[in-house]
Amino acid sequence: MVVSERRLSLPNNPITGIVLAIPGYFAGVWLGTLFGLDDDQNTGIILGYLFATAAFLIGIGFLNYPLERLFGWQVTPVTDPAENTGIGRFFRLSLDHKVIGIQYLVTILIMLLFGGIGAMLIRTSLLVPDSTITPPGNYISLIGLHAVMMIFITSAVIVGPFGNYLVPLMIGARRMAFPRLEALSFWVVPPAAVILAAATFWGGFPTGWTGYPPLSVQAGQGMDSYIVGFALIAVALVTSGINMLATIIGLRAPGMTWTRLPMFVWGIFTTSILGLLAAPVLAAALIMLAMDRTVNTSFFLASNGGSNYLWENLFWFFGHPEVYIFILPAFGIIMEIVPHFARKPLWGYRTGVVGLFGVALLSWFVWQHHLFVSGIAPVLRPFYMLSTELISIPTGIIFLVVLGTLWRARVWFTVPMLFCMGFLFNFLIGGISGVYLSDVPTDVTLHGSYFSMAHFHYTIMGGEIFALMAAAYYWLPKMTGKMLSPTIGRIHFWWMFIAFNSTFFPLFIVGLLNMPRRVAAYNPDLVGLNRWVTISAYFLFGSMLVFAGNLIYSWFFVARPAVANPWHARSLEWQVPTPVPAANFDRVPVIVAGPYEYGIPNARPVADLGGIVGATGGG
Amino acid sequence: MGAFRIDEADRPHLVRLLVIWIVLSAIGVLAVLQIHYPPYDQTVQGQDQSRTLALLTALATPVFIAVVMMVLYSAVFFRRTTPELVDGPPMLGNTPVQIAWVAISAIVVLFLAVVGIATLASSNVAHAVGQPGRAIGQAGGQTGSGTPGGAGSEMQVQVIAQQWYFTYRYADYGGVETTHLYLPVDRPVELHITSIDIIHSFWAYQLGVKADANPGVDNIFHVTPQKTGSFQVRCAELCGLWHGNMADSEGQVVSQSAFDIWIAQQQKDFEVISKAVPSYAPYYFPEPLIKGG
Amino acid sequence: MAVRTRAYEADAAAAAALDTRLAGIGTWLFLAADLFFFVAWWFAFFYLRALNNHQDWKAQGIGPPSKGYGAIVLVLALATAITYFLGSRQATMAFLFRLLTPVALVLGIATCLFQGYEMWHLGFGLTEGGYPSVFSGLSGAWVIQFALATAWLASIVTQTGPAGDTIVRRQPAASFAWILLYLAAIGLVNYFLLYVVA
Ligand SMILES: [Cu+2]
Ligand SMILES: [Cu+2]
Repeated sequence: MVVSERRLSLPNNPITGIVLAIPGYFAGVWLGTLFGLDDDQNTGIILGYLFATAAFLIGIGFLNYPLERLFGWQVTPVTDPAENTGIGRFFRLSLDHKVIGIQYLVTILIMLLFGGIGAMLIRTSLLVPDSTITPPGNYISLIGLHAVMMIFITSAVIVGPFGNYLVPLMIGARRMAFPRLEALSFWVVPPAAVILAAATFWGGFPTGWTGYPPLSVQAGQGMDSYIVGFALIAVALVTSGINMLATIIGLRAPGMTWTRLPMFVWGIFTTSILGLLAAPVLAAALIMLAMDRTVNTSFFLASNGGSNYLWENLFWFFGHPEVYIFILPAFGIIMEIVPHFARKPLWGYRTGVVGLFGVALLSWFVWQHHLFVSGIAPVLRPFYMLSTELISIPTGIIFLVVLGTLWRARVWFTVPMLFCMGFLFNFLIGGISGVYLSDVPTDVTLHGSYFSMAHFHYTIMGGEIFALMAAAYYWLPKMTGKMLSPTIGRIHFWWMFIAFNSTFFPLFIVGLLNMPRRVAAYNPDLVGLNRWVTISAYFLFGSMLVFAGNLIYSWFFVARPAVANPWHARSLEWQVPTPVPAANFDRVPVIVAGPYEYGIPNARPVADLGGIVGATGGG
Repeated sequence: MGAFRIDEADRPHLVRLLVIWIVLSAIGVLAVLQIHYPPYDQTVQGQDQSRTLALLTALATPVFIAVVMMVLYSAVFFRRTTPELVDGPPMLGNTPVQIAWVAISAIVVLFLAVVGIATLASSNVAHAVGQPGRAIGQAGGQTGSGTPGGAGSEMQVQVIAQQWYFTYRYADYGGVETTHLYLPVDRPVELHITSIDIIHSFWAYQLGVKADANPGVDNIFHVTPQKTGSFQVRCAELCGLWHGNMADSEGQVVSQSAFDIWIAQQQKDFEVISKAVPSYAPYYFPEPLIKGG
Repeated sequence: MAVRTRAYEADAAAAAALDTRLAGIGTWLFLAADLFFFVAWWFAFFYLRALNNHQDWKAQGIGPPSKGYGAIVLVLALATAITYFLGSRQATMAFLFRLLTPVALVLGIATCLFQGYEMWHLGFGLTEGGYPSVFSGLSGAWVIQFALATAWLASIVTQTGPAGDTIVRRQPAASFAWILLYLAAIGLVNYFLLYVVA
């Protein structure tokens, strides 16, 4: 094959990306003023954000490969092995799933800091029952930014860092199926966060994360950030979904049968199905919203042939699977970690997988429980009440599997194990409070109140984020090569656990006592409880600083190198050396046993790492 | 393996757990039943919701105690005691236990759903919604003259939401528009909630009423006050700048005679501006394009 | 349980086979996701049509643009997909492949141009109610995807020369036919909804 020697020689890095993004933005704005039908520059701003993102991605180097293929140039090697060792590889387009995992981790931790600061500002404003600390306009911008930023984060916080880093290691692959898609699923996240933050220049957006029209149609230019930022996250969900599913289906090592797949991989698998299929529905709804705002169509305007119910249906058809996109990887983490520290096989492997799929399947049939009081199709409410309550069955199965694994175990109380137990407690409260909201008569009182706010913080923060912490203490030694301090870890756990419950449990009561969500002014009778919650929230933020401190302390000050398998775990990812070699596995591992076969007489090691000499097919 | 044969090693744990669970659950259920659950008993529907909340809490308590007890018990009794790692007994699962667990949770779930549906049906909460225009399975246009529904003795009251306050129109009293909601005690009311700009949600806390106000939609909610007293009204759907202040604490449930005096006064005050407001309709459409700024 | 070894053969042919298999899986996953995207639009179509809020689904004098014109676009799209499909079944070096792929490209470009022309001459404004909204959004979303597919088709055509990339990667070029066929099928459903059911 004759290949032309020509190649693109743009320096591909984020600086180039930013340098290109700025003129990209203004080109979009200029084009918008040429063709825009509205007087509010919304067309220009949306095009500007899209052009800037495209220019940024070109600067990062995403256009090289298609152009090189189109014109038959030599394909630029993205990961030059010589350059692929220094700290610089984290600041460039890399197709190494391990680098992408770390890039994701750091990016999301930075985003988490901003989302958390938003939460602190919200709670500060609620120290007083009127809007003297934060004017109502600022308050509403703040809750919108906090909410959407946190949704961006929680959509990717497990799949991004841990899914990307660990899935190939856990299934015995040397790479992902589509490394370029994988890289794309990361590189759209920083622009999404920046575009969302840009809403502050336009006074934010007034709709919270649900973006209900007609308010979102009449809202100011900050709403355009919501549309484009969320659309980029939809791109990330679809690309990461395609990549993860194809990897798990097509790149498992020999002997890695479906019944030997680690539970964490099952969690990623089910969540990827949801992300793959739900995000396109959101994308369609966002396009409709953008059209209503720019070319004055009327998808959502009742007086012109549209309906706000259309948005509510499309948004929640995406939105309910979306909340399980958050929690399924967390279920996977809990079922993955508990056996290793219980030193027992997973109690009911197949049952646990059925539980994950049960949750994933049912999540498509429940979305109208968000709309019980909206006035849509009241005759269907009993159906959605039943389907929602049915989700407690597969969720209960997952609890049973974990409790059964703990039964008569020899529990090794490590920090990850503590976080798993914290997860069980918090998610139990989150799940039970969900039943209150799924019951139509009680939902009439609780809908839109602090009760529902407390419910989803218990499931997302108490559930997903606690699972994330378990994952961090468990897997970061493999990913960074440094052990986190277990002493600080224990302080972190207890501090976070107590502060979390002290923050969010009173909010159930606040909600029952007539306080709606998203208000800067509230009934002065509730000021005592609200102040308690605010103080607790400061402590909760403090516990996150303890975590950050632990990361910094362990990485930079007391560099305690991690051994290859500090937990003496059986599963495959712990059998590779630390730091993980560039090719993951010298030889293709042959999987000969399941990952959780503790205590089974004559159990074989999980894999024969001497395996087959050969390639996993490129990469 | 026998269906429910209990392993000798399990028996002491199971007996202990069962005893703890029964004792704690009994105490817990009795404790949570002492609580007065909102929205209390000003209306029939609110009372139903209070009772459902009490029932859900009473059912949730044993479940909560069971799981927390299991986690704590494992943490205390199934902790490793030796300095070096030891593996636990290799239990791979137990099909009868799993089937029993699923069956029990299915029974609880179905029981909850049946109770919920029965309460929904009996308390008649928001049983019908007027769709705008020619809705699916509903004939008729959107001119909507006169009173909608006209169901027997139910009083028709329209709630109109806009940024950032509610007004009320009494269809049975010439469509008079008021700034506070007064309701006579012991008379069923059919609330018609609608909006003339964006989505709001009408939340009358003590009445046990919450229903979204959508532009061009007539959202119907049935409520029967059974005690006099004041109630609070506020917006429960984010509606822009002053959403948090879209509240009114001057709602009143009063006796029929007090209501008659009040509504007569309102009608008198209303006479002057009656020509300015649009005639009564089931819902109103906002100005064609509410866009920009 | 059967042990899968297929993916781990040492030679280059097996590696290429693995890439082909992954490309096939990825194509089907993408099509599933994209189908949900269009289902959301179809839902909007039926929902707004049934609701007919303010009698403004199709206000006075508003209706589908010329049925015949829509049919031309549809036929061109189907012809693009079928032409390419037939060509891609041939061995890459074959005469038929070299002949049919450029024809498909021309047809694809024509599809986009005709659809674009139609959208500039709709006979109604975008602001005039439910049907105009859905028509412009759904047709627009479809033609943008079709245009992107046509651009990809162009890159395949440039690589049909003796040293071209398509020669090396014949299998992915063949599985691309499914994307074109899928988009043409979506176009068929859209035509039925927007011009016939309306
Ligand atoms: Cu939901
Ligand atoms: Cu409001």
